[in-house]
Amino acid sequence: MATAEMATGRAARSTGAAAIRLEGVEKVYRTDRIETVALSNVNLEVGEGDLVAVMGPSGCGKSTLLNLMGLLDAPSRGTVSLGGREVGSLPDRERSRHRNREIGFVFQTFHLIPELSVLDNVEIPLLYRRTSASERKSQALAALDRVGLSSRVHHYPSQLSGGQQQRVAIARAIVGRPRLLLADEPTGNLDSQMGDEIMGLIEGLNREDGATVVMVTHDPRLAERAHRTVRLFDGRQVQ
Amino acid sequence: MLKSHVKLALKVLGRRPFFTGVSLLGVTLTLLVLTVVAALFDHAFAPHAPEVRQDRTLLVFSLELRGERATSTGQPGYLLLDRYARDLPGVERMSITTQIQSAFTYVGGDRVRSYLKRTDGEFWRILSFDFVEGGPFTDEDVASARPVAVINTTTRDRFFGGGPAVGKAFEAEGQRYQVVGVVSDVPFLRLVPFADVFVPLTVARSDAWRRDLRGPFVGVLLARSRADLPAIQSEFRSRMATVDLAGTEFATASAEAETLFATVARMLLRTGPGRAAFGRGAGPGGYAVKFVLVLSALALAFMALPTLNLVNLQVSRALERASEIGVRRAFGASKAALVGQFVLENVVLTLIGGGIALVATEAALRALTASGLIPYADLHLNGRIFAWGLLFALVFGMLSGAWPAWRLARLHPVEALRGGTR
Repeated sequence: MATAEMATGRAARSTGAAAIRLEGVEKVYRTDRIETVALSNVNLEVGEGDLVAVMGPSGCGKSTLLNLMGLLDAPSRGTVSLGGREVGSLPDRERSRHRNREIGFVFQTFHLIPELSVLDNVEIPLLYRRTSASERKSQALAALDRVGLSSRVHHYPSQLSGGQQQRVAIARAIVGRPRLLLADEPTGNLDSQMGDEIMGLIEGLNREDGATVVMVTHDPRLAERAHRTVRLFDGRQVQ
Repeated sequence: MLKSHVKLALKVLGRRPFFTGVSLLGVTLTLLVLTVVAALFDHAFAPHAPEVRQDRTLLVFSLELRGERATSTGQPGYLLLDRYARDLPGVERMSITTQIQSAFTYVGGDRVRSYLKRTDGEFWRILSFDFVEGGPFTDEDVASARPVAVINTTTRDRFFGGGPAVGKAFEAEGQRYQVVGVVSDVPFLRLVPFADVFVPLTVARSDAWRRDLRGPFVGVLLARSRADLPAIQSEFRSRMATVDLAGTEFATASAEAETLFATVARMLLRTGPGRAAFGRGAGPGGYAVKFVLVLSALALAFMALPTLNLVNLQVSRALERASEIGVRRAFGASKAALVGQFVLENVVLTLIGGGIALVATEAALRALTASGLIPYADLHLNGRIFAWGLLFALVFGMLSGAWPAWRLARLHPVEALRGGTR
């Protein structure tokens, strides 16, 4: 089972080894006339089993940082290393493979595919690993069980509450047993009670399953529950 | 993964029934036309009875004679076929037959036109006609110029009111014939076996036809095996260099032993009297290849407009899928995987359209058969036409799916997750 293996394979707190390391990272968006520096000289290391919160005002570069860590975007300068290997400048196919094998994403707006059932949504990462259908189903059911949604596997996203949809999104993020879980304001679209539930789930994944988590949030209460907080301001790391 | 993508494709199609309906209508109409055309070609060229050995049959259908001052393009004469096409190595049987000609018969005061073909005894051994009465005329009938005839069932019905016809007589072009056999109708589009009335070669009023290099004849060569075809063609071509043209105004004779398809290709690709049937570069089989290319180009051109229409519809739906594309990219889909997914989704759409088109094709073919536009046509779907329909649907799906798929796959994952189109 995916989650069981995660639990046995990783410690609850950082082991000291770097799950992800950013060195001298800069991200500049250029148009014909304007050059916008979204991130400047970011140096950050997240150890295996860490739970890190990223905070800062809107537009400070939090999501850009998460996109770079998730290999969804490439840095303009600097290096991004995953498990000790530089991956920031790899070609598309290689970056896709790393995303598939080593990273799980949780988005603020869930991004579930409305035409697919809960089970099919959770299976998505496994589709790109050529996992057999029976194995996909078994792993997806285990992930849904981990987030407490075993009874909703054949429902569609529109039939679920916001909190349940985010649980599905978390199940999708962990189904492939990634090295790193990246959450971009995972409670941003939820009320405080549901937000607490989701945060509890993320903490559980970190504590019990050893998942390394980097979470962007605006909520100081959630950040307090992280092992440490990285603060950004105008694209610079201030803490 | 395939099952998952197909499942999703069907659900996406159900999301916007109006768009899907418009797309399906365009796909279906396009594939319907292409499949009906394929069915007509199948009707004309596929190895249906009586041409069941078509795969090892060659025709000598055209002859070109060239001199310093004159060029003659037409059909070969009996003399040319008899002298230069007989006993070719690798040929099991050889028949000489005329092309169809109109023959008129008075039935109850009405002047009835039939298509008449003069042929020999081998004709009946090369082709497998379905005799519903009697049998073919024999080599001896041909040698003795006996006025006997084989007619088709429609002619039997017209001449004799549908009752048994063997032993009965009728008159055509002032000549009285006794019916020795009745065969099932053969469609008009079958170049070699089609006729209403078949009579021996020798019953012509004069025997001048025996001495002509040119004339309305066709040589039908049945090879022992398909492997013998190239050698037969080569030997026949070299024999053409030895044609005795003494006493004529011509210096060279050119003719080819070709498959039915190549023969028809040569006929259709001739653009005018100034263009030689055996022009430079045509080569053996060259016309067939060129004809296939022309047909393929026409099919692609015919698909172009509906393809553009479908491309526009699919691209316009692309933004709805931006979030999905972002998610798939985030969870490991490469651009190539996404292109594959979206092309597959489009192929699912065109295959559904293809399925509807095949049902509509059967209805159209029945209507065409009932209309009598093509005499004796009996058009129906079969495995080959089904396969062509499937191929058209796949090509159409890939053509119209490739561009939208490429556009979608190129979306930057970050922008896609925001619902944009960077």
